[in-house]
Amino acid sequence: MTFLEQYREQYINQNIQFIVIDFDGQILESDQTFIKLGKGDFIYDIHPFFISYTSILESQEETVTYNCVHIEYQGKEFITDVKMIKKDSSILLVVYDLTDHYITYQNIAQARNESIINSELVVLRNLELEERERFKNAFIRNFSHELRNPLTGIISITNVIEGTNLTSEQLQMVNFLKESNSNLKLLLDDIMSLSMISSGKLQLRDKVFNLYDLLQLIEFTYKTKAAQKSLEFVLNYDKRVPKLVEGDRLRLFQIITNLLDNAFKFSINGKVVLDVQLNQKRANKVSLRFKVSDNGVGIPKEKITSIFESFTQLDATGKQQGSGLGLSIVKGLLELMDTTIRVESKVGEGSEFYFDLTLKYPLDLASKPIIIDTAKATSLSKMEGERKFKLLMVEDDERVQTVLFKALMDTNLFYIDLVNDGALVFEQVTNNAYDVILMDVDLPNIPGDHLTKLIRDFPFKNIKNIPIIGITANAFEEDINDYLNIGMNAVVPKPFDLQELIETVLKFLKK
Amino acid sequence: MQKSRKIVILGHFGVGKTSLIRRFVSDSFSDKYKVTIGVHITKKVVEISDDETISLIIWDLEGTDEVQMVRDAYLLGTHGVVFVFDVSRPSTFQGINEDLMIVAEKTPNTPLILVGNKIDLVINSELQGLLIENNIEANFLTSAKTGDSVNEMFTHLASLLNDLS
Repeated sequence: MTFLEQYREQYINQNIQFIVIDFDGQILESDQTFIKLGKGDFIYDIHPFFISYTSILESQEETVTYNCVHIEYQGKEFITDVKMIKKDSSILLVVYDLTDHYITYQNIAQARNESIINSELVVLRNLELEERERFKNAFIRNFSHELRNPLTGIISITNVIEGTNLTSEQLQMVNFLKESNSNLKLLLDDIMSLSMISSGKLQLRDKVFNLYDLLQLIEFTYKTKAAQKSLEFVLNYDKRVPKLVEGDRLRLFQIITNLLDNAFKFSINGKVVLDVQLNQKRANKVSLRFKVSDNGVGIPKEKITSIFESFTQLDATGKQQGSGLGLSIVKGLLELMDTTIRVESKVGEGSEFYFDLTLKYPLDLASKPIIIDTAKATSLSKMEGERKFKLLMVEDDERVQTVLFKALMDTNLFYIDLVNDGALVFEQVTNNAYDVILMDVDLPNIPGDHLTKLIRDFPFKNIKNIPIIGITANAFEEDINDYLNIGMNAVVPKPFDLQELIETVLKFLKK
Repeated sequence: MQKSRKIVILGHFGVGKTSLIRRFVSDSFSDKYKVTIGVHITKKVVEISDDETISLIIWDLEGTDEVQMVRDAYLLGTHGVVFVFDVSRPSTFQGINEDLMIVAEKTPNTPLILVGNKIDLVINSELQGLLIENNIEANFLTSAKTGDSVNEMFTHLASLLNDLS
């Protein structure tokens, strides 16, 4: 039977009851189709709906139809349409029992409304989760900012202390302090990376870089580390891998080193292998497989998914070092790079972490295979004996001032002026010929980024072109990009390595 | 016939209109959502004072997100209107002031009470912020689930209608 036929049948076979009442609501006549009514009964005693007959008396309308009215009568519910027709001294009520028809409609409405409400709740729940995530990331951002300043002081002062006359016992304590500082800095960097990934603020910066140099650096670092742990570190690479590729060098380095650190953490003996193989080359794109394998403790099957969650450590005893963020960062970064981390592991035998990564490579330079070279060392001593440079240090934190001043003076390369207030910088710059400015961003009165903009807008070339190296605890990539866009030549995040800072300064000096 | 007054309960679907009536009439509550189609009519006698009662004929109307679509026949002879929204679902109160204007046009010279229901699902401080943010002046904030302010709301309306008659 078609829907139309069913519908027609419902109407043809419908139960219709006719009732005539007077203006007081007393029943004058009625058939007994489905509501049993006696003459003289009052219609409003049957069901409160029927009190509505009074409305038609007060209304100008001759006929009123009420659709889909639920009438409960003797324990049964009828869903009806009721037509009220006003006559001279009476009212005719026509009651259509359309229960079956309306129940079908009710089922449809139930499904529709539930679906809409559920969708709304999902949207609200997601909004709430996003809000929590935003709050969490803002908290981490502020927290890491607050930690960076004192940590810079601790690291720098530790370096200064290390350079003084110390007994062997004191030197040992300083080394412990340095190691703790370093661990704290790594942890802070990990937290920031994860926060940036989860807030969607981390942007990949694709540039052509030398993959060979990167692998060489990794090999050097981890061979040293392996020797300290009585492990073996092996780098295997496919000679067809292009030397120059285009991608985010820093993030690729972060991924590989996080995987290697993880492998080292869980290996007591045996070897850790980094394998870089070519999957395929097409046009100017190359697909590479990076694999880190170890002979470590291995991962139970049921824990493989959870190891990529933040703050998850396989070793529940907490004996292993680290924040438990490394693999989460790897997972997040690879997702940003449109690829996935995969794991194969056997308890007691070891693990393999691998991913495929497609990178562009410049065609004209790509044919050269990787060849291991000896490392080139940069040394400050090369600069010695050359002319001295005039440097303006703009920094209000006394600890940082002390450390920087001493380190810069030790190079014997600079005449240094110091300013600790943003409002004094402009006068200083216009009255002196500086070769370089070391500018903290958070300064009293006028912040460093604002000062940079003012200097860059200055009409005289000798002032507007002074190299400005920013120092900041706002180490998020977007902040650094902002400072670079304003006109800083380089930005060094706190806590900084003195050697690295000085090298950055030297890079912008005219020899 | 006892003095009776017809009130209609309006608002979007799923805001808890039926639950408010059930809490008021039979002091019960069910978490299970059952859609109302058309209209359910219930009667409850409310004591106004020691010697005065009024019979409320409560019309529980099918929820709709377009007040304009409410059938005129349902509103015929209405003495009071309760407009309900769900404090936990923004779609039920966004643009509520426009909805109220439409209701006022359809039921001129009729008392209208605005009720925010399901307050058990939100934190009070957030609720106050939300009302201010959306420029909502609710007369009652209720929870059909816990019974908070439900009787007060209906009794208040009954007194109001009694005074007007």
